[in-house]
Amino acid sequence: MNQPNWSESRHRKGLELLEASGLYRPEDERDACGVGLIADMKGQPRREIVELAIHALKSVWHRGAVDADGRTGDGAGLRVGVPQDFFKAAVARTGHEPQRGDVIVGMVFLPRTDFAARERARAIIEAEILGQGFSFYGWRQTPTNTSALGTKARSTLPEIEQVLFRDPQGRDAASVAHTLYLIRRRIERRAREENLRELYICSLSPHDIIYKGLFRAEDIDSFYLDLKDERFISPFAIFHQRYSTNTFPEWRLAQPFRMLAHNGEINTIRGNTNWMKSHEIHIAETAFEDARGDVTPVIQPGASDSAALDQVFEILVRAGRNAPMTKTLLIPEAWSKRADVMPDGWSAMYEYFNSVMEPWDGPAAIAAFDGRWAIAGLDRNGLRPMRYALTSDGLLVAGSETGMAPIAPERVIERGGITPGRMIALDLEEGRFYREHEILDTLSETHPYQRWLGEVEDIEPAIGLGPEPVEFTDAERLRRQAAAGFSFEAIELVLAAMAEDGREAVGSMGDDTPLAVLSESYRPLSHFFRQTFAQVTNPPIDSLREGRVMGLKTRFRNLGNILAKGETRANVLVLDSPILTNGAYMRWREMMGGAVKEIDCLLPVGEATGDGHALGAAIDRVIEQSVHAVRDGAAHLVLTDHRSDDKHCALPMILVAGAVHSRLTHHGLRNACSLNVRSAECFDPHYAAVLIGLGATTVNPYLAFETVTANRDNPGEGHEARSRAKRLKLALDGGLLKVISKMGISIISSYRGGCNFEVLGLSRALIEAYLPGVVSRISGLGLPGLEARTVDLHRSAWRGDARLPVGGFYRQRSSGDRHAVTASSITELQQAVKHNDAAAWKRYREALAAQGAIQLRDLLDMRPLGPKLPVDSVESINGIRRRFVTPGMSLGALSPEAHGALNVAMNRIGAKSVSGEGGEDPRRYKPLPNGDNMNSAVKQIASGRFGVTAEYLSECREIEIKIAQGAKPGEGGQLPGFKVTDFIAKMRLATPGVSLISPPPHHDIYSIEDLAQLIYDLKQINPRARVGVKLVASAGVGAVAAGVAKANADIINISGSVGGTGAASLSSIKFAGGPLELGLAEAHQMLSLNGLRERITLRADGGMRSGRDIVIAAMLGAEEFGIGTASLLALGCLMVRQCHSNTCPVGICTQDDDLRLRFGGAPDYVVNLMSFLAQDVREILAGLGASDLEDVIGRTDLLDQVSRGSEALDDLDLSAIMARADATERPARSTREQRNPVAPSLDEQIIKDAAPVFARAEKMQLDYVVKNTDRAVGTRTSSEIIRVFGGAGLADDYLTLKLRGSAGQSLGAFATRGLRIELDGDANDYVGKGLSGATIVVRPFGGSREQTTGSAIIGNTCLYGATSGQLFAAGLAGQRFAVRNSGAVTVVEGCGANGCEYMTGGTAVIIGPVGDNFAAGMTGGDVFVHDPERRLDARLNTDTVVALGLTAESEARCRELIEQHARQTGSVEAQRLLTDWEIEREDFVHIRGEEVVRRETSVETSLPASMLA
Amino acid sequence: MLRFVDIDQAYPGKRPETERRNDFLEIYQPVETPKLTEQASRCSQCGIPFCQTGCPLQNNIPDWLMLAGTGRMREAYEASAATSTMPEICGRICPQDRLCEGSCVVEKSGHGAVTIGAVEQFITDTAWDAGWVTPIQPGVPRGQSVGVIGSGPAGLAAAERLREAGCDVTVYERADRAGGLLMYGIPGFKLDKHVVQRRLDRLAEGGVAFKLNFEIGQEASLGLLRSQHDAVLIATGVYAARQLVCPGAGDEIVQALDYLIRSNRDGLGDPKAANERLSAEGKNVIVIGGGDTAMDCVRTAVRQNARSVTCLYRRDRKNMPGSAREVRHAEEEGVVFEWLSAPLAVLSDGAEVTGVRVQRMRLGALDASGRRMPEADAGKTVDLPANMVISALGFQPEDLRKSFQVPDLNLTDWGTVESDPDSSMTSLNGVFVAGDIQRGASLVVWAIRDGLDAARSIENYLDNRLAVLGAAE
Repeated sequence: MNQPNWSESRHRKGLELLEASGLYRPEDERDACGVGLIADMKGQPRREIVELAIHALKSVWHRGAVDADGRTGDGAGLRVGVPQDFFKAAVARTGHEPQRGDVIVGMVFLPRTDFAARERARAIIEAEILGQGFSFYGWRQTPTNTSALGTKARSTLPEIEQVLFRDPQGRDAASVAHTLYLIRRRIERRAREENLRELYICSLSPHDIIYKGLFRAEDIDSFYLDLKDERFISPFAIFHQRYSTNTFPEWRLAQPFRMLAHNGEINTIRGNTNWMKSHEIHIAETAFEDARGDVTPVIQPGASDSAALDQVFEILVRAGRNAPMTKTLLIPEAWSKRADVMPDGWSAMYEYFNSVMEPWDGPAAIAAFDGRWAIAGLDRNGLRPMRYALTSDGLLVAGSETGMAPIAPERVIERGGITPGRMIALDLEEGRFYREHEILDTLSETHPYQRWLGEVEDIEPAIGLGPEPVEFTDAERLRRQAAAGFSFEAIELVLAAMAEDGREAVGSMGDDTPLAVLSESYRPLSHFFRQTFAQVTNPPIDSLREGRVMGLKTRFRNLGNILAKGETRANVLVLDSPILTNGAYMRWREMMGGAVKEIDCLLPVGEATGDGHALGAAIDRVIEQSVHAVRDGAAHLVLTDHRSDDKHCALPMILVAGAVHSRLTHHGLRNACSLNVRSAECFDPHYAAVLIGLGATTVNPYLAFETVTANRDNPGEGHEARSRAKRLKLALDGGLLKVISKMGISIISSYRGGCNFEVLGLSRALIEAYLPGVVSRISGLGLPGLEARTVDLHRSAWRGDARLPVGGFYRQRSSGDRHAVTASSITELQQAVKHNDAAAWKRYREALAAQGAIQLRDLLDMRPLGPKLPVDSVESINGIRRRFVTPGMSLGALSPEAHGALNVAMNRIGAKSVSGEGGEDPRRYKPLPNGDNMNSAVKQIASGRFGVTAEYLSECREIEIKIAQGAKPGEGGQLPGFKVTDFIAKMRLATPGVSLISPPPHHDIYSIEDLAQLIYDLKQINPRARVGVKLVASAGVGAVAAGVAKANADIINISGSVGGTGAASLSSIKFAGGPLELGLAEAHQMLSLNGLRERITLRADGGMRSGRDIVIAAMLGAEEFGIGTASLLALGCLMVRQCHSNTCPVGICTQDDDLRLRFGGAPDYVVNLMSFLAQDVREILAGLGASDLEDVIGRTDLLDQVSRGSEALDDLDLSAIMARADATERPARSTREQRNPVAPSLDEQIIKDAAPVFARAEKMQLDYVVKNTDRAVGTRTSSEIIRVFGGAGLADDYLTLKLRGSAGQSLGAFATRGLRIELDGDANDYVGKGLSGATIVVRPFGGSREQTTGSAIIGNTCLYGATSGQLFAAGLAGQRFAVRNSGAVTVVEGCGANGCEYMTGGTAVIIGPVGDNFAAGMTGGDVFVHDPERRLDARLNTDTVVALGLTAESEARCRELIEQHARQTGSVEAQRLLTDWEIEREDFVHIRGEEVVRRETSVETSLPASMLA
Repeated sequence: MLRFVDIDQAYPGKRPETERRNDFLEIYQPVETPKLTEQASRCSQCGIPFCQTGCPLQNNIPDWLMLAGTGRMREAYEASAATSTMPEICGRICPQDRLCEGSCVVEKSGHGAVTIGAVEQFITDTAWDAGWVTPIQPGVPRGQSVGVIGSGPAGLAAAERLREAGCDVTVYERADRAGGLLMYGIPGFKLDKHVVQRRLDRLAEGGVAFKLNFEIGQEASLGLLRSQHDAVLIATGVYAARQLVCPGAGDEIVQALDYLIRSNRDGLGDPKAANERLSAEGKNVIVIGGGDTAMDCVRTAVRQNARSVTCLYRRDRKNMPGSAREVRHAEEEGVVFEWLSAPLAVLSDGAEVTGVRVQRMRLGALDASGRRMPEADAGKTVDLPANMVISALGFQPEDLRKSFQVPDLNLTDWGTVESDPDSSMTSLNGVFVAGDIQRGASLVVWAIRDGLDAARSIENYLDNRLAVLGAAE
């Protein structure tokens, strides 16, 4: 799309407006990419390396994104050695005679238009370089061709120059590098001081030079002309293609950086950045004594996560650690729960490192070079791909995709994929290649880590177990409970569930209570903190099935200095989790003795006058005392409110803990102590997570523990009390893991202090004073209001009879908080839709209007844009209704009757229903005889891929990728076994009665470019459907939306956090995600600002119940509207909120046959509801003088804030959502009629060539050479097969594609029956994803010299969500092989971590090694693993599976498949096994779902004897 | 919990009607704890407690159902007692089918309501038996006193809460026993008098003073009361019977309340009446009316050994105001219902009533409240024989302005005492009103609700008064 109007200044102005108004934060920007490393093992410079790297960049263009202008890339770059001949010639051309010694080249971006600034920048650089004894050759203008740039890139293009100089003193390379580092840091500091924003040094190093910028990857050498020069040679190259959600093009953000190139995202960046402030003081002191001020802050303000990682990596290298060591320190492998699969030396090393630094956690593939060592490695989860090949002539090629750098197969001697958490390394000086285990052995032998670990003491055994004392009398406890805001509901629903089941209670439907800031009831401060979560740009983690990589290990302080090598005197105490039971606290307190300083966090009630001064003073006192205590040597601070009484109320512990943490950090003291919080108010995992997220080391929710241990039936300290306490702790631990996993964070220490929350409704002044650095976008409750509420609660608790309120936060009670959905509004709504009763509808509207402010939109009102119009002149009901959607509610959650009724209703009015993720009955693909259509117009594809077949995806007008759900963003789901009836099981291709798990992430979307790939795949399998992406509102969703738009989505759905669910933890329903208004406005603004708005349809859902809600959402930018809960109410839902129990009394959300009979809904009711809503919209529009809904879309200027919330608030400021980013003539809505096109694929040719198949149903065979840029081969062809021949496809092997080369991602994705793909070569990620009947055979390159066995042949996440078909691959598969396979049959020769996870059907035979966490959460199907070395025991996750020996029957099956494998691929390994079958068969293990096995055996034993006979 | 899916609704068993007809004991058989617990466990623990919405007291029904359903009876009692001053009485006499049970989601969805009333009654009966019902704990003495006029449910509820709040409370009752309609109006087979008495005793033991046989306007004026107390609550109820107007309707018509009071006095062992006018024994009895009072009358008559008992009501079964459950009980006990029948004239032989001429009715158009208006079905009349005709057409307020001798007490058009809707304060400062005399004849549970609301208002009023006095000092 051409954008002649784009101008930098206007863009920057828009951006500043958004930044000022609060919805845009630069740190929300995300990026991801393709990355790689090429190096000569002996360190010899070659031209080939540069050329291969350039070629590789041209072959990963699809992993990057291009701006709306079509040419501005998100950034690409190349880091190579300094070609001396080339630069000596350049020096000669400047008139200098090149001297002895190397030319050193600095690559610099200078101000382009401001000449004075440019000269100033040059002066600074020259002065600093000369000041360190270098002699100057001069400046070289880097030859560039700006015609290769897009509009945006050109208008932000810096002056790109190279500074050439040399070292006359002949210092060694290491000390030159050290000096140049300090020079650069000084230049950077001076640039900041002098406000030379445009001065940026890409590279300043004796080893290397970086060419990078905002061109498309394929244009790199047409822009930087140096790279075309034959003399341009290098011993290594690191290349990077960036895909950014970013909104403002900046040349400096392109990668590689000085040390590394990073593909992925650092989820823990906020915590890491905060902790770095403490670490850097010691680092600077130890390694840069003279230049302390120059190297701090290590992480420069405004740095992206990758840049921050690079800066820390760099200082560690400069301080003397090599690249492999630094990688291991920063991005370690998961070790704590995997001691049995790893040598002791390694785990000692990891444990030692863990004691000095918090891991940098998140999807990461990095390629780094420190001047000597080149490494390529992955994060602990292996969330990014990294493949490598070694050639016979000593070349290492590693990168995101195989085949990106073309190497003749004959040269390759080894191919591999890197294991999660590991790396490969090349020592260019020594000329040695280190495989994963070799480098770890080397590193772990460097130091006696096991001995050093003597200082790390695990105190869990000493304090964890023991009596649980009860401190208070019943009466006193009751008062304290009341004073801490406990209720009957909290105790019975939340606490009791945890103490009894050891996990959090589950609830259903959405949250319809007011936002904390709008509630009149007392709300704990934790309610003002909304959990953030990973979506699209990084994945959440499955804390249940993939818990092996997670940990809550809590250390009370650090093992001193990160740089320290050797034993230190500091004792490091380690606990299993940050939650202390009361007994554990007492024991710990005693053990620590005098090192502990307890600080009372109390407010003398008498001093409180309601103006907040007393509260402020009390908090300040605590801060002062804390700082003094640490300065006086206290090693452990305990902030406690347990001495509160009738005259002293507890301070808000969240505020206190956060304030103390940030003040200690500010003074550089935080590392010197632990910060422990004893809070009465804390009783759920969310509260504990907020405390830890704000910096607490441990949390002792003492009153919660008292409450469960001292209950009336079993008082005292007996066994039952202990086990209740233990279960409560277990539940809190589990909850914490869930909270951190939502953000994609694995380790609590990386989460601590990172404030991964969106603060909603606390006053900016309050936050500024006590939680600096945290953003509060709408302001709200301040000290005065907080003081008044706190003291009120305290007084009412200590006055009169001690009595707990009944509650009403989770389930409505008349004495509790308000709820949006009430008995009367339900009654009126149902009366209205059932009898088409307008009077009842009016009463429904009045009931809604009377309920006061619940959501932010209730504080807004609409301003007319002209004189009132007659209602009849406004857009018709039909037109408005077409914009309505019933959001995804799956068949499985809903009964078939309710699901069908919604579909019929929405189809009748030309609107859309979303299928949800549970498949669709193929009988619904044809309309009923009466013309009603029961087929959902929108098919959802979610993480479980249940019932997602090629046919399913073909039978729709739109495909929705559900990334997150309002009720539980960042989490997966579970359909309990009792809901999996025969029918549901058939729809989902699963076993009846066996629970089904949807994982938290889509395992094929770990990053934004992965989403682009999935969209590409879906647009292949359905060439007509539009593709939507469902996101949940949260701070930063705007940047995500921009990225999604660039990924060629057609629709973005923003869900508010209040949306419904069939089942989710209560704390997720209540505390995760943000309000729709903020998310919608942010997405709309960012899309507008980036010129992407017109190509995207914005849809909104979450708690929309009235015409008013719809019009306001339209003004905030929405064009389509999801109406979920209200449509269920229309069908008869009574908000029982027991969806998760399968006991829905009205037969909507249940699969129970008896209850389904109670279903009394009908499509007519839903039609009536939509008509009433549409008519309301018309009336509102008429009143506003708008003749069409389009007239108000995006018109935030028509909104006024008419209420600023309660008097008790400092302020409540919604101006952020009303800012207009781009108030030009361009319409603020989608203008595109057709879907956004994606790049053509090889299949267009295939379909042409296969014309005889489609025209005459003739069998054919076609041959092609493929490259890694040929993605989703076979997918579009499959769609054509279904279109022509129907859902069942063709007979097997009807159309055979013979391919040769390295196939791109998604080979054979959703490939359908009748297609056969034979590949000679290898393939990238997602082979056979969603496989729907085709056969895929992958054989190694013919004639290659590599050993067949043990080489990687297909990438990660192959066969994800496969439903039928076959895959034979004669080599290793990557991580997450056959995840969620529900029907495909496959044989491979080994696989990476998390193989066969969540599998529910099909058969997998793995004749080779499997990675860790094998078969986690697998519930169905058969897996055979050949395990001669007996390594499976440690790697198998036995939570849901059992390992069996072969029976005659299963042996036959296994053997038959291996025979087939041998036939299809010619596999040497298969031949060998068959030859020695009698011996080898002993080494096979048969893995099956435990639930299935149990059901089978119980069914057999319960069968009547007659049937057995 | 949520056991409605597999446990059927079961109300407590009733004694056989043959047995019931012969005594004034409550008709339900005692329930065993496991059965009761099981019934409580049928509750669906809804997100929106429609039952609570249907309950005038807004009892936290799902919560004590959960506690009872999981065997935590004592906590259930505490939860129930937190919002109601007499749950066991509500459990007995509330028309649950029109309130909580009628709103119950499990009922609405066709599974049969949770037997909320039976559980409610059981919980607190159990508490009494087990000794969990403790004496009232008066709050810190406030040095302020409240006079409560009337000892019916509204007055008692207010008295209890005010006493707990530390007030000195005196209850003035014009009858010789406290309890109002609870004592004298409602027959023992619905509400055993011992159940009422133990509540009265508990109040008295908690320091609430009762002045019986004390009629305002006679013994003392309202003005005197106002000067003796910091606040006064009028909770007299409505006692003026709505008169049957038709030819022949004169003094020989028995008023329902006279009839029921007499019967209750008999049950309480008071001296027998001098004449038999108020006894149904051996008579053909016709009761006119379709409300709960009418049901009480017919069922009392059965127990007094009437020869026949007939109920006349001008609408049909579906449209009657009384509880359908009561009708069922009455039918079981042998009462004949003449639906769509209005009295045209009371027939007599000059001295004695001999029967009622009945106009048959049919249902016509809807009225403003959505009920179908009965209209005469022309030409269809019938004479029904009777020796005793009881009029149970409802109650109206007495003229308090007159009887209390307070001309500046504002009344509404209906004769009830006018009050501020938020505070329940009447036109007289410091004088509050609650119960039927405030809202017109209604249910006991509404009277309790009004009493509790009024108590809260009075407390606020007294707080302010203290503050004002304090400021004045």
